[in-house]
Amino acid sequence: MAKILMIHPDKCTGCRNCELACSFQHEAAFRPGATNVHVFTWEREGFSVPMMCQQCDDAACVRVCPTGAMRHSSDTPNLVEYDEATCIGCKMCVVACPFGNASYDSKAKRIAKCDTCAGAPECVLFCPNGALEFAEDGEQIRARKKAYASKFKDVFQEVR
Amino acid sequence: MAGLPGVTPGSPGPAVCEWSAPLNIKYFATFRDLTGETACVLENPPATVGELLEVLSARYGTPFRRAAFEGEDLSPFLVLLVNGRNVRHTGGRTTPLREQDEVCVFPMVAGG
Amino acid sequence: MYGWTGTTLRIDLTKGIATREATNMTLAHEYIGARGLGGRILTDEVDHNVDALSPANKLIFAPGPFTGTFAPSAGRFNVITKSPLNGTIAASNSGGTFGAELKYAGYDMVIIEGKSPKPVYLWIKNDQVELRDASGLWGLNAHDATDAVRELTDEDAKVACIGPAGEHLALMGCIMNEMHRAAGRTGVGAVMGSKNLKAFAVVGTGSVTVADPVAFKAAVMKARGKIQAHPVGGAGLKAYGTNVLVNILNETGALPTRNFQDGYFPTADKTGGESLAAKQLVRPKGCFSCIISCGRVTKVDNPEYAGIGEGPEYETAWGFGADCGIDDLDAITKANFLCNEYGMDTIACASTIACAMELFERGYLTLADTDGIDLRWGDAHAMVEMVRKCGEGEGFGKRLAEGSYRLADSVGHPELSMTVKKQEMPAYDPRGVQGIGLNYATNNRGGCHVRGYTIAVEVLGNGMSMDPHVTEGKAGLGIAFQNLTAALDSSGACLFSTFGIGGDELAEMLTALTGVSYTVEEFVKIGERIWNNERMWNLDNGYTSADDTLPQRLLDEPILTGPSKGEVNHLGEMLPEYYSLRGWDEDGVPTEATLESLSL
Repeated sequence: MAKILMIHPDKCTGCRNCELACSFQHEAAFRPGATNVHVFTWEREGFSVPMMCQQCDDAACVRVCPTGAMRHSSDTPNLVEYDEATCIGCKMCVVACPFGNASYDSKAKRIAKCDTCAGAPECVLFCPNGALEFAEDGEQIRARKKAYASKFKDVFQEVR
Repeated sequence: MAGLPGVTPGSPGPAVCEWSAPLNIKYFATFRDLTGETACVLENPPATVGELLEVLSARYGTPFRRAAFEGEDLSPFLVLLVNGRNVRHTGGRTTPLREQDEVCVFPMVAGG
Repeated sequence: MYGWTGTTLRIDLTKGIATREATNMTLAHEYIGARGLGGRILTDEVDHNVDALSPANKLIFAPGPFTGTFAPSAGRFNVITKSPLNGTIAASNSGGTFGAELKYAGYDMVIIEGKSPKPVYLWIKNDQVELRDASGLWGLNAHDATDAVRELTDEDAKVACIGPAGEHLALMGCIMNEMHRAAGRTGVGAVMGSKNLKAFAVVGTGSVTVADPVAFKAAVMKARGKIQAHPVGGAGLKAYGTNVLVNILNETGALPTRNFQDGYFPTADKTGGESLAAKQLVRPKGCFSCIISCGRVTKVDNPEYAGIGEGPEYETAWGFGADCGIDDLDAITKANFLCNEYGMDTIACASTIACAMELFERGYLTLADTDGIDLRWGDAHAMVEMVRKCGEGEGFGKRLAEGSYRLADSVGHPELSMTVKKQEMPAYDPRGVQGIGLNYATNNRGGCHVRGYTIAVEVLGNGMSMDPHVTEGKAGLGIAFQNLTAALDSSGACLFSTFGIGGDELAEMLTALTGVSYTVEEFVKIGERIWNNERMWNLDNGYTSADDTLPQRLLDEPILTGPSKGEVNHLGEMLPEYYSLRGWDEDGVPTEATLESLSL
């Protein structure tokens, strides 16, 4: 079954544990440029959103990559793979991604893009609030849909 | 509802449950969610805090029991005040109860 | 270099020069960082005699080694300076994200010296350091100033700034960061204002590195698990915020009411965390690396007090609530929003207004003093208006901004100021909880709860439980809290992580992070060293054991109503033992032997 890394911004508190986990996973250190997930916070509204690669089925980054370093994984569903060895650092993927979810890390000389940590995403493990979820097809929206469905349950229960 | 002392069966879910007389119980923080109430009045109160919590656990169910007890002992995360005194310093579950006592049920909370 | 960056930045505002230096690593090992290291640098470099609002004072921004890592709920920084309120070492602690950004920019400390000839803001991006003209920013509230500075520097810059209160040198002026977090107490905002420094913006892209990544991650996962398993750290604070304390303190009979006249406020529930969650909470908020999320994003719909922001925290809900005899949560939250915008310590502001209410009720202040406002218990409108005046430094607000001690003293009644060492006491009545009274009396910065939070044991029963009404054992308890907290404050960790972990876990994580071996005993001893260093500074500044006291009201006047009715604080039964256990003489002076054992 295919798993998808899902975000629930309504639960994000802006703590950035995901960024720290991601950076540490890749470099065993904490550096803002080394994380593939970024949290944006609007302080006046008190709202935060984590953003990472959406692993598009028909990815713009894959289409523009001249070397095939960015490619749809042949063995893992829902994964756009990045092969650092084949990458020439042209940054066309950075230009192409409409979400801004690929960036160039000039210190490490590589593309920073979420790779789901080989199927065990650290950001999901570290998020204390359930704002990130690695869930099966169809299950990733289950909690949200069910939460609203339960409002109908409550309404209909009260009316006898 | 059968078997509970002093309970009059009737319509469900008032904001304050009226069992009959004067042990005043107030619920705070997560205990308001667990019980669905902010306060309760209990007649013919049991003799001790431990027995009271048994009665309330029977009334409100397993989530309440889990918050109140750890095995046979009071949960370390329960803060129960009788007339403002933490029962941990007045005998724990053997703390005696009298009519007109004020009981406050808190989970361990914190702040700064 | 692991955990620490090894670099300290020194800014001379008078000459407009920035210098990079190596962090003194011997001191860093012995004082850890933040409160401890900044405090030691201050005591080394600043004469204890200086006028706190003069260019000779220094203002130090210092995160800790944990700051910027995923040690749980450990992203804090301190602002350290000589306090203009009371001359003690102000080491004001704040969360948010600013501290982590300082670490990524490469700094263990930023030491700000002198005074700029004109208003400036400091802009740091890694090793690029600029002082820029702030004349267009002067006068802006802290929120508008934050946005304005970002437009001039980087839209994602982390910004620490003062509002009008700090600009006016209000002794309750604080430093706000990320708009809603505060280095709140003891007048640090006034020091920043006295240096003509409006704001400090920082962007960092560097690294915080780890000595033993495998051991560090394992220690962190263990610590996270313990905090998450604890009902407070794991769920309670996130659901209800710190304001959940209103009811438990009230039902213990120790919620200071009407300027500490009483300890019980019958309608307190309307101002507590449960009410806030039901009526105003939008969502929880967490600081950098936090797994607890005690922060509250709140919204008030009532058009009279409408707004969106963060808070109120327990101290604020108490101060503008029970302490003023007010139970209108909307007004309380509005007062909190105003304090965040003007940049004011909410404890000082609220307690000063409560004091002013008592002075007015007794006729020691009149309508002529209060700009025609009837300043009575329970009057929410008057309270909010006073907060605004205080922030503006307008009319009676100028006197309020000096704090309750100077206000009460000015009308000949300093005994009605609920302060210790001129700093307002927080939201726990020592007549109902004996040990916190000892902590208020002996705390190095004056009336303060966080540095010796015995409430955790005396009321909340965290880890162990002691009867709040007894004095026995409270000296030892207080010292244990004070020492551990001083070390914790210096590491970058948040006090709330102690609902779950303690010195063992902190020492373990610090060792793995820095590569410097810390046992829990050494960690606590560092706390003791920091405490004694702060104490020596106070003694040099003329403080004596006579100042280790509480207002007469708390020693002589029993609580009037509620579960702790009839109680007073028995400080005299606790203080001698406290001095003795601390290795101090009968006058509260650390002995030579004690100082030597701490390398002081």
